Amino acid sequence: MSAADELKIVFTGPMGAGKTTAITAVSDFAPVRTEVGNNDQESFAKASTTVALDLGQLGLDDGTIVRLYGTPGQDRFSFMWEILGRGAIGVILLLDGSSPDMCAHLRTYAEVFRRVAPEQPLLVGIGRTSPHDDRPLDACNAVLAEMGCSAPVLSVDVRRRDDVLLIVEILLAMLEARIAEVAHDVH
Amino acid sequence: MSTRRRFDATVVRLATERLQAFTQANTNVQLAVLTSGDGFEVASYPSGRPSTAKVAAMGSSMQALSEALSREAGLSHARNLIIEGDSGSVLVLGLSGTSPQVSLAVVAAGSELLGRLLWASRNLCKELEAELTKTP
Repeated sequence: MSAADELKIVFTGPMGAGKTTAITAVSDFAPVRTEVGNNDQESFAKASTTVALDLGQLGLDDGTIVRLYGTPGQDRFSFMWEILGRGAIGVILLLDGSSPDMCAHLRTYAEVFRRVAPEQPLLVGIGRTSPHDDRPLDACNAVLAEMGCSAPVLSVDVRRRDDVLLIVEILLAMLEARIAEVAHDVH
Repeated sequence: MSTRRRFDATVVRLATERLQAFTQANTNVQLAVLTSGDGFEVASYPSGRPSTAKVAAMGSSMQALSEALSREAGLSHARNLIIEGDSGSVLVLGLSGTSPQVSLAVVAAGSELLGRLLWASRNLCKELEAELTKTP
């Protein structure tokens, strides 16, 4: 298989945003996980946390293999964000819509990945939102506009395979549009 | 951020004493860090170095990756990870039976013989395992 048949997408976002769950929801095999016990219950009350990466794989109908990498959430593991961001064709940033820190997290991760993967499309998925409550999406759109960053913002339930597939497909469509744009500019 | 408050003070004190004795007995060891599975420094010697928190976080990531790779390769359990640099080496060793899960990262200058360093580090792990599993 050539490298052109393989694409790399990174799922990032703060601890507890659902990165491991999202990758597990769509991966063709049980993802490689590096979860350990969480000793930082003050920051987020969950039993385990990813400390290196998650790795899943999604095969598309045309034979393309999409490798799905998940980052650790905590900023003490930010060295992994940079490592995993290299060579990614796009980044899916997952946020917790019920968190008071959602906008701060958006700024942090968008800034890092805009630097690590500046030409690659970014998509923001917001989980734990209430139905018919667009305020978290509006808040994220406002932050992105302030940053001069163009990225779609969608509500997503990462436990649902169809939701995760949808955001992956949108990211790939963004990539195709960008490639077509570049080709048009060249000609 | 004080990460040590997350861990029992007796565990931190005992571990620091062991790391100090290890570092003094192996003079080419520049830094020894006991790190929790999720990347927090439990104890270190010498303490207070700016790089210690990063070494702790990276050590836990490397330990988790080496265990994941060992599982994928059908090797059951990863014993240790060795990084040989131009001017020194880094060892990351997982401890067994402790709660929380911990690993040891050792940074040594290039003049240290790798086999000797590995032998001494494994002995330190056994001492730490004995201390940490009997501490309530």
